[in-house]
Order: sequence, then structure tokens, then C-alpha cells
Amino acid sequence: MSSRLRHVCWGKVGLVTIVVLYILWSLAPVAIAFLFSFNAGYSRSTWQGFSLQWWTGSKSVFNLPIYTDAIRHSMLLAVLSVAITVPLGVSLSIFLSRWRGITARPASFLATVPLVVPELVLALALFFLVTKVNLPIVTLGTSGQVVGQVTFILPLVIVITIGRLSSIPTGYEEAAQDLGASPPQSFRLVLVPLLQPAILASAIVAFAVSIDDFVITQYMSSTSSTQSVPMLIYTATRGGATPALNAMATIMAVTTILIAAIGFVLYRLLARREQIADAPAPALAVTPEGAR
Amino acid sequence: MAGGHIQITDLSKVFGDVPAVNHIDLEMVSGEFFSMLGPSGCGKTTTLRMIAGFEDPDSGQILLDGVDIRRTPPHKRPVNTVFQAYMIFPHLNVYENVAFGLRRQRVGKDELRRRVGAALELVQLGELAKRKPQQLSGGQQQRVALARALILEPAVLLLDEPLGALDAKLRHQLQDELKTLQETVGITFVYVTHDQEEALTMSDRIAVMSHGSVEQIGTPREVYDEPATEFVADFLGVSNLLSAGAVSGGAGECLLQVGEFTLTARGGDTAARGQVKCVVRPERVNLKPADAPGPNRLPGTVERLVYLGSAIRAIVRLATGQTLQSLIPSDGRPVAFEQGSAVQVELPADALRVLTGGGRAVTPHAEDVLSDQLEGAADA
Repeated sequence: MSSRLRHVCWGKVGLVTIVVLYILWSLAPVAIAFLFSFNAGYSRSTWQGFSLQWWTGSKSVFNLPIYTDAIRHSMLLAVLSVAITVPLGVSLSIFLSRWRGITARPASFLATVPLVVPELVLALALFFLVTKVNLPIVTLGTSGQVVGQVTFILPLVIVITIGRLSSIPTGYEEAAQDLGASPPQSFRLVLVPLLQPAILASAIVAFAVSIDDFVITQYMSSTSSTQSVPMLIYTATRGGATPALNAMATIMAVTTILIAAIGFVLYRLLARREQIADAPAPALAVTPEGAR
Repeated sequence: MAGGHIQITDLSKVFGDVPAVNHIDLEMVSGEFFSMLGPSGCGKTTTLRMIAGFEDPDSGQILLDGVDIRRTPPHKRPVNTVFQAYMIFPHLNVYENVAFGLRRQRVGKDELRRRVGAALELVQLGELAKRKPQQLSGGQQQRVALARALILEPAVLLLDEPLGALDAKLRHQLQDELKTLQETVGITFVYVTHDQEEALTMSDRIAVMSHGSVEQIGTPREVYDEPATEFVADFLGVSNLLSAGAVSGGAGECLLQVGEFTLTARGGDTAARGQVKCVVRPERVNLKPADAPGPNRLPGTVERLVYLGSAIRAIVRLATGQTLQSLIPSDGRPVAFEQGSAVQVELPADALRVLTGGGRAVTPHAEDVLSDQLEGAADA
């Protein structure tokens, strides 16, 4: 074996090591949290034997209203956020990418501003807006939390969708119109089907970010009925939480990972079906931070 | 179906500050195969897109069968397009791609099935109806694009370099098929290409375009044999240009001074005087032995011999420093000349064409052709 070849091999080994270490590092806390949900004692740091008491029975995660309410509220916020951000973000993206006016560039830039503004700043601003200005409909509580999450998630949807749109030549829409489809018809019959992978990816990212969101959801909350899972985890860790909290965190992590996995498989299927000009798959960077 | 007559008047389009189409006048007669030929950036595709409705003209008029279609949106124009990259919808199978236009017209179920079937038969794709576009070869995709456009029975079919993405062999085969198809369906084809051979083999008439302007309009034979400008001569094959001084001549004849030699030209603008450019097709240039001078012959040296398969191209440097090309048919006999040998280059008077105005301006001849056609159309 020549020294040059050996050098290449060592580089490969090094890269593999780094990747494996990274995966271990990012999954280990989740695994530990998961493990301690089976602890026989009340401790979340000392192993006292195996038990299913935090998963079934009177002390379990499914029997404490404070936990079940938080899970239900998190799911509600996630579903609402996805339902609003995806159609809104896709429409905005199409408008921004297919619109050739002189304000198109500044508008694209402004649409992604919430992406770079620190979440805490955005949350504070929204909090003041909602409390100092009497907005109709939007108040602290569920409506405020949804509006806050939508503001935060929308730019992500736009970035994903515009990336996909830029790989779809305008020729498809022109071909549709050439064949007698009105502009709305060419949108519905051609562009939306071609955008399916981006729509799916957006929905997954929106769901994961919403489930995971703490800062905005916390600031826009009102009573304990609007407490989400991350909020509960945050407050509970300071008080005397039982391993049922670990069970809840596990549930959220598994849900997010499952949805991301299903979405990823669907995305691959959709993308393979079409194969438009080597459209790059948007990175589905979904980390199960709900389990921290 | 009669109709499909397009009259373009004073059409212009500027992108930014680049004039893409510069005040052109064109006419496509009903049922003809009309090609717009030119290099990229000559305005041919922009003109096509303005007919289709994807670009809005800055000025000018497009009449389709006497009706100004400028304000009609693309989906309401009775023209259909075969796009350069075909733009077959990747999420629909062959059948649904072809049915797309008919579904927009809400035709009945039975009629839809019948007409899609007929359109697929027309382009010999009947058995591939259920295929997805990704499973088709380039040639098959091209046929789907054709069927999809023709099924709507447009007055005019616009084709934007439809053979550009295919390999040479398939291209030749599809050229024949396209021409046959056009004769079968009998509608006006407006064909955009940068390939002179494609334009020559298929077209009834060709408009040679350059820098947003029309250089010459004529039948394939006219633009090939009687190029009006240096550009047309150059673009349609090899530019065998010769600079000469036009001195005198009788009716339909012109005496040309090339160095110390005198040539007679009987083609082109024989009334021109002064510094002119002449063009001669390589296949009309004959090479003779060096010891046989004669009328319309110039001495030169064979600089290079290039084997082309069906012919041999000889590049000859004349004593005056200019080079000329000669095509010698390969008929099995060995070529009598080799690289470096001295020859006499014979330029037959009938093959020598004098270009006007240094070869840039459109000759009166081309304008005659155009006005004849316009009058002919007005009479019809």
C-alpha cells in the first residue's frame, strides 16, 4: 500500500470517528432520559432498579393531568402552526420567487428577517405588542402562542420552499398555460404537485420547531392551561419532578423523530418520483431537543 | 383546416437595454413550415415567445388570421408550443400529459379517450401511454411534447429547437418525421433553430436572423444558393468569402480584380462597383493542376486536407493571402493533391456571387422576395 493511499484511509477513519462520536454525543442524553423513565425510585439521577411505574399506574405520565394537558396543548399548537405556516409560507414563496417586480429582492430579504432576529427579542417584541396594543383575536394564551410560533416558523418554510422553487423551471407553468390552463389552474395542477416534497419538508420542520419551541411559547402563554411540554419540563426540573417527566420527554422525542422519519421517507419517495433537475433535498435538521 | 396565417409588423422587444428583437416584419403563410434560423441571441426565440404570449412586445403587431392577439393571454391563444426542454409534466404519465389540454377544455370522456389515443398513434407512442416521463428517452419525450401540443388542433404550432437535445442520428430521423407530420396535419409550423441543416431540410421558407433583425427570407435554396449578406453566407455553411475590386462588366456580369488576376462573376449584385465581397460555395470550388491556368482560375497552395467522410475539404491559400475552401467528393479515387502542393483554384462565374455593401445590407433582391410574398398573400 502506498503512503498516499494510507493517508487517504486515515482521513476516512478520522471522519467516520467524528461522525460516530457526534451521533453518540447527541443521542446519549436522550437515551439516558429514556432509561431513567424506568427507574424504580423517585430520582432522575440515581439508578434504583427497573420499574414501569412511570409509564403505567397512578403515578404514570398518562395519569397526571398536568402532563397530559401539556402534551395535548403542545400537539394543538404544533398542528395549528403547521396548518397556518405551510399554506401561507408556500404562497409567499411562490409570490416572492415568481414575481419580478423591483421590490422582490427587499421583500425576500424582509421575509427571512425573523430567521436572524434572536428568538428572545422576537418574543419580547410580540409580548409588548399583544399586551400594550389591544389587538383583535390575538391575546396572551393559545392565540398569541400560535401567532408567535407562526411568525418564527414562517421564514423556515419560505427558505425551504424557495429552494425547491428555484429548481423548478418556469417552463412547466408556461407549458400549462400554453395548453390552456389559466394562471390559477397552472398553479394548482402543475406547481403545487411539483412542490409536494417542499411542502412535506416544511410541514415536518414546522411541526418539530413548534413542538420544541420554548421562548415564544412561554412569553405568549397566559394560564397553566396554555402550558406546553417544554415549558413544563423547564419549570418541573426546578421543583421535585419524578421520572414521569422523563417518560413525557421520551414521548415527545419519539413523536418528533417518528414524524421526521416518516416525512423523510415520504420525501425521498416523492423526490424520486419526479427527479427535477437534481433538486437538492433540503436538510431535515430535526434534533429531539424536546427531551432535554 | 385553413388559417394559421401570421403577420408580424414592426415587432420589437428590449430586455434591459439590449434589443432582443429589433423592428422585424415577418409573415408565415397558412400551412407552411417556416423556420427562424440564427445563432443564440439573434431574437428568434424571443419572437417565438411573443407569438406564444410569454413575452409582451414593446412595440409592433402580431396578427393571427387577421386578429391582433397582443392582448390575448397565452392560455387563450390558438397556438401551441413544443418547448426546447419539452417541459413534460414529471408528475403525470404520458396519457395525462397529452390529455392535459383537452381536460382544460372539458371535452367529454369518450371524446377525450378517442382524441388522446389518436394523438398518441400519430406520434407512435400508443403503447407507452402509462409510462412516466422519466422512463422515456429524449426522442420519446419529444414526441409526447408534439402530441400534447397537436391534440389541441392549434392554428399554428410553435417549435423552439425541439431537436436540440437529441443525438445526431435521432435528429436526422426526427427531421424527416417532423416534416412528414407537418404535411399530414397541414398546420403552420413556426420552427426556431440554430442548426442550418435542420432548417434547410425541413422548411418551406427560412428567415435568417442576426442581432434581432431579419437578414434574409427565402426558400432553403434561395438562402443557401443566393445568400444576400455576408452573415447569411457565413451562417449557412462555410463562408468562402473573397475580397475583390469590382471594376466593370456587361449585363448580369461583373469583372472582379483579385490581385493581378481577373474573375468574372455572374451571381448576386453584379451592378456593384468598388471594394466588394464575393461568396462561393465550397462544393463549387474546383481544384485544377498547377500547370493549367485558365479563365476564372487563381493560383494557390493546398494548406490542409480534412477527411469528412462523404467529402474531403481542402483549404487553399491563394497567392493574395486569402484562404478558400473546396469540397472534393470522396468517390473512391485518390485525391490528386496533397498538403503543400500548388494548385489552380477554379471559381466558376455562375458560382461567384457578389454581395452588396460589403455584404452587410439586405440586397434589393431579398426585399423583392419579401414584397412579392406580401403581395401574394394580400391577393390570396
